[in-house]
Amino acid sequence: MATDARKKEILKGLYDAVVDFDEDKVVELSNAVLAEDVDAYEAIMDGLAAGMEHVGDLYANQEYFVPEVLMCSDALYAGLDILRPHLSGKEADVKGQVVIGTVEGDVHDIGKNLVKMMFDVAGFEVHDLGRDVKLEKFVEEQMKTDSEIVALSALMTTSMLAMPKVIEMIKARNPDAMIMVGGAPISQEVADNYGADGYAPNAANAVQEAIQMISRLREMGKA
Amino acid sequence: MAEQPQPRQETMGPGERMGAILMRQRPDRVPFMPFIFGYCARNVGYPIAAVYNDPERSFWAQMWTAEMFGYDGGAMYGYASMGGWEFGGDIKMPVSEWEQAPVVTRFPAQTPEAVDALEIPDVATAGCYPIALEFAKIQQQFGMPIMVMGMSPFTSAGNISEVDILCRWMMKKPEVAHKLLKKVVIFGKKVIDHYMEAFPNYPMMAFTGEATSANQIISPKQFEEFVLPYMSELHDHILASGIRNIFCHICGEQNLNLKYWAQLEYGDPGILSFGHEVDMAKAVEVFGDKHAIAGNIEPQVIQNGTNQQVYELCKAAIDKAKMAPSGYLLMAGCEVPVQAPPYNIYVMKKAVMEHGFYD
Repeated sequence: MATDARKKEILKGLYDAVVDFDEDKVVELSNAVLAEDVDAYEAIMDGLAAGMEHVGDLYANQEYFVPEVLMCSDALYAGLDILRPHLSGKEADVKGQVVIGTVEGDVHDIGKNLVKMMFDVAGFEVHDLGRDVKLEKFVEEQMKTDSEIVALSALMTTSMLAMPKVIEMIKARNPDAMIMVGGAPISQEVADNYGADGYAPNAANAVQEAIQMISRLREMGKA
Repeated sequence: MAEQPQPRQETMGPGERMGAILMRQRPDRVPFMPFIFGYCARNVGYPIAAVYNDPERSFWAQMWTAEMFGYDGGAMYGYASMGGWEFGGDIKMPVSEWEQAPVVTRFPAQTPEAVDALEIPDVATAGCYPIALEFAKIQQQFGMPIMVMGMSPFTSAGNISEVDILCRWMMKKPEVAHKLLKKVVIFGKKVIDHYMEAFPNYPMMAFTGEATSANQIISPKQFEEFVLPYMSELHDHILASGIRNIFCHICGEQNLNLKYWAQLEYGDPGILSFGHEVDMAKAVEVFGDKHAIAGNIEPQVIQNGTNQQVYELCKAAIDKAKMAPSGYLLMAGCEVPVQAPPYNIYVMKKAVMEHGFYD
């Protein structure tokens, strides 16, 4: 059993290793978490996830760019792969379910994958449909999984026009499904015009927005 | 109530107007070159893919649409996802109502070994170039300058390997990224040579551009290492081949990269077009002495905005850049979306007619 000081050292090490995209260090420290009986959930949330949250800030401040963020993401997943099987009980419960994908006509998925990662690390069950996803597929997957959230991504001005269509299709089948949109040409104004329930300007904000959307659902007794 | 500006009488045709820009002379008014491809096919009732896979229909769709809206600049061939098909991958032509340009569906080199094995393609048979060369013959037939689609090393490399893989190589295996970029530049130079041989002593411009190098993706430091040297080598080759002018589309958020873009040669003058992320006043300040500036009306607004919003954006851009020392062209910040309302394109011309005249 690790002492408090050692536990702090490991969590800080995980945080730093994600920020420094040091995948080997993440693996080493994640194994130390297990060997020294540190709580895996704490290691994920206060080490890996906290580190990734800081990476989001670094991206927003133009200190990190996509190549660095992708490396951080790889480091984070290396840790998650080791730690996640050791979550138990309530900690392993999912925070919610999200269907995610880049809409039909759009093959750009870097942004979508980063949002997916943030949902993963936040403890959501993610149903990733990939890119250039037929609109009907979003509807089917939401119904099949009963996901609270559907997250739609688009990079192109042409493909963003698929968003209001798919929002309408999903809402027609399940008015309680919460839909969030994001991507380069999307703004809060566009999201509002499209009838989306949420908008995230970047990956870090997406999870926060999703959690708020689920809270709204729960307040209404629908989740 | 403010007095409405009145449209003025044009004294130049589109060819003269563009010619004036390239001769560093003031045209009668700001030229209007919308940057429009798939829209033209849709506009004349062709499938959008015709602009990319049918040289004859592509040419006429663009010419007829130019005639209809009365904009300057004629027809050109190209699209942003070049590289993948040319180096042996596959692309998909736009077919659904949500698509407007070809996309790569199979990337030809996604491992370091595949980059090693990548052969420099034969321009005559590589990907879209047989179509582009046919298109150039039509331009020649009608006495129009040929616009050579000159590759864009970094964006093309991303279309060969896939952008996230290229990004990871930049961080973990920079030598692989450099090897791929070198191969793209070799091919890009061969493209220029091929056009020069196919159309000897014929007036040409070269088109280059960069989307993937935007600061939404890479840092200025990464730009300096992975974009600047290759773009520079390609531009130097283009100009050494005898082509006098390069039309370079500097796409997306490029503000942190402008100091590097300013180190490149673009000809005498070049035409540099910018997205809405780069303010026209800034573009004029950095590049306006040497080169004509074009831009930067946000495509999302052209597609989704009201005609008043589009008009105001155009007026603001004209006000900022009209007096640029080497000229200014009103243009969309990137390709005009295929589903843009026609009236929004009309008001771009209207803004030029009401605010773009000199004297």
